[in-house]
Amino acid sequence: MRKFWCLFFMFWPIAAIVYSAMSPAYGWWFPGDSVTELGQRIDNLFYLILIIITVVFIGTQMALGYALWKAAHNEDEKAHFSHGSHNLEVIWSVAPAVILLFLALYQMDVWRDFRVKAYFPEGTIETPIAEVTARQFEWRIRYPAPGKKLQPKPQPDDLYAVNELRAPIGRAVMIQLRSEDVQHAFFLPHLRIKQDAIPGQIIPIWFKAEKKGIYELLCAELCGWGHYKMRAQLTVEREVEFQDYLKKLQTDQNYDGFPTSDSVAKKEE
Amino acid sequence: MSVRWQSLIAVMLAGLLAGCGGDASKARFAENSALAKQLLPKARKAVQKTLDEHFGAPLDSVAWLKLPVNYGKAEGTVKSVDGLKLSVEFNKEASDVDGLTSPELARAGLLFTSGVSAGKQVLLAKFDPKTNVFEALQTLDSPPAKDDTFVAAGHFLRHGRKLYARHCQHCHGVSGDGDGTTAKYLNPRPRDYRLGVFKFTSTGSFPAPIKATRDDLKRVIALGIPGTYMPSFVPMLKENELTAIIEYVRWLAMRGEIEKGLITELKGEYSRDRSKDEGIDKSLETYLGEAYPNFVNEIAGEVGEKWSGAEEEGTAITPKKPRTQDTAESRHRGKELFLGNKAKCVNCHGPAGRGNGPMTEDFQKNPTTNEVYAERGLFDVWDQPIKPRDLTRGIYRGGRRPIDIYRRIYVGIKGTPMPGNSQALSEDEIWDLVNYALSVPYDSQAPKLPKPHSVAEYSTEHGHAN
Repeated sequence: MRKFWCLFFMFWPIAAIVYSAMSPAYGWWFPGDSVTELGQRIDNLFYLILIIITVVFIGTQMALGYALWKAAHNEDEKAHFSHGSHNLEVIWSVAPAVILLFLALYQMDVWRDFRVKAYFPEGTIETPIAEVTARQFEWRIRYPAPGKKLQPKPQPDDLYAVNELRAPIGRAVMIQLRSEDVQHAFFLPHLRIKQDAIPGQIIPIWFKAEKKGIYELLCAELCGWGHYKMRAQLTVEREVEFQDYLKKLQTDQNYDGFPTSDSVAKKEE
Repeated sequence: MSVRWQSLIAVMLAGLLAGCGGDASKARFAENSALAKQLLPKARKAVQKTLDEHFGAPLDSVAWLKLPVNYGKAEGTVKSVDGLKLSVEFNKEASDVDGLTSPELARAGLLFTSGVSAGKQVLLAKFDPKTNVFEALQTLDSPPAKDDTFVAAGHFLRHGRKLYARHCQHCHGVSGDGDGTTAKYLNPRPRDYRLGVFKFTSTGSFPAPIKATRDDLKRVIALGIPGTYMPSFVPMLKENELTAIIEYVRWLAMRGEIEKGLITELKGEYSRDRSKDEGIDKSLETYLGEAYPNFVNEIAGEVGEKWSGAEEEGTAITPKKPRTQDTAESRHRGKELFLGNKAKCVNCHGPAGRGNGPMTEDFQKNPTTNEVYAERGLFDVWDQPIKPRDLTRGIYRGGRRPIDIYRRIYVGIKGTPMPGNSQALSEDEIWDLVNYALSVPYDSQAPKLPKPHSVAEYSTEHGHAN
């Protein structure tokens, strides 16, 4: 029976490790490699932490198993009451503190590059590509007219879209995030970006997508009963395509029932 | 103490036995009780019976072929028959193949178009979309043979209901009455489809309002209505899902209109206050037995025609001239119209376009009943208080394209006091108004018109600034 309990308590950590090791094969993992370089660095941080905690986990569980197993076969020695060991206390306080301090320092440059405005890639702050406004329950997007700068206040020639954000590939771009009502969170899982949208604040987010594609844009903060409806998409495309898209938006938005020179015989939808 | 515990347990057990919402399969569409209560109880029942017969219940809907609803049909051929099981192959060219793979076909019927069962309908109990095997509800008298062709109808309605229940119902209500569970928290209220009136359409309003087209409804679902709680449902919903929802909404709207039509007709002779009249029961019975069935068909035909009429070529209002160039002069002309007596925009929208014109402070008359509303301000046909748009905010519920604004001015906004101006204003005048309306939010940035010299310009207050 003693052995049973040893095995019982050893079974669960092993099951947890096997389960975690299997996860990527079953798709219970990141949605593919990050399409941004910064996202890969965030992933690297994640993996570093994962390795540290795996080593600590396996180490402590093995120690626990060993202690159980050994004690199960130890008929001679009796357990004794102790008021604790000062040395042990110091070790298990200082060791995690060192690890945490290391992580806090080690991640700083990633955090700085992601969040600190002064370190945003050159040109992103001056020319945000769009303003994304979250509202219950959709994402409203405002682009500046082609060749113009996005102003904090709406301009007559601004271009509007809903639930479809587009960005050029291979260029660091910034968007301004706002919320019209409650707290939302702008979540691009493929780009490893998650940022709360807070009413009354304009929060800049930058990214540089390196791979063409259509990625999910979700709300990651329970914002009301229609939270699930906030499923939009980010389309990453070539610079030319992006500019063409803006021009198309412009043509559509100026549509007065007559084909213009740049839209040949666009029929009324 | 123990007694209290026992009663608590008893209550909990009773709750468990009764369930939470009753039996969902017995769910019914809510009655338009505000209208129906004006009828004699027997007449009220007759209306309910008619609706049940032709529309069924939410979970057991009936595709009334008299209505111009695309119920979704899929053609196919029988591959083999094994007792109740029919293995079939669908015609891939069928235009409605989308959604076919959904198990929604399960409760639809198969109508055979060739072979011994030609013209007969087989009701289905099950459909396995993976193997394309149908299971008939009961033994077939004359079983179809291999290579018989059939049409399966109704899957859009069922697919649409499921999607509607998931995404729309909590605001718009099971029967489309705009009174779902979240509706009371919303301002403006969600649309009540039962009048068959939709605000933002491409279709005209003169001489009589034309219904919304499928594309109009699709545009609203795809783009949402900024300034209201209607969100955009694209890209979450795919093309075939939009189609199914739109058909379901149209179907609900027609149901509501037919309900209203029937009640209005019966109210003439068989209103509640006539319950004491001699021989009223007898008279109602005769009416229900003789003229009523015809009337049901007639009104369904009428309602159906209006909806199919909207889909006809040329119902969309399109300007005859392109937009006037957006110059300071054009805006100025627009502003003069806005403030003037010809377009009368200022009466509701106010001198600065803030939606605070004198009409919003006055008591208005209900155009249908001719009664004066108890409260100040404007009301829509759903009897909800409504505010004229504040044009300075730059939020355009029906879309911000020039053509959208043009249509709002030309057609008006159906169901609201915003009138159509197709008769009062010329094409050029409407475009001037469009240019002005679109410039209101940016008024301070607008290029200034060269001012004619005037006395005021030389007053000390302004100095000689020019």
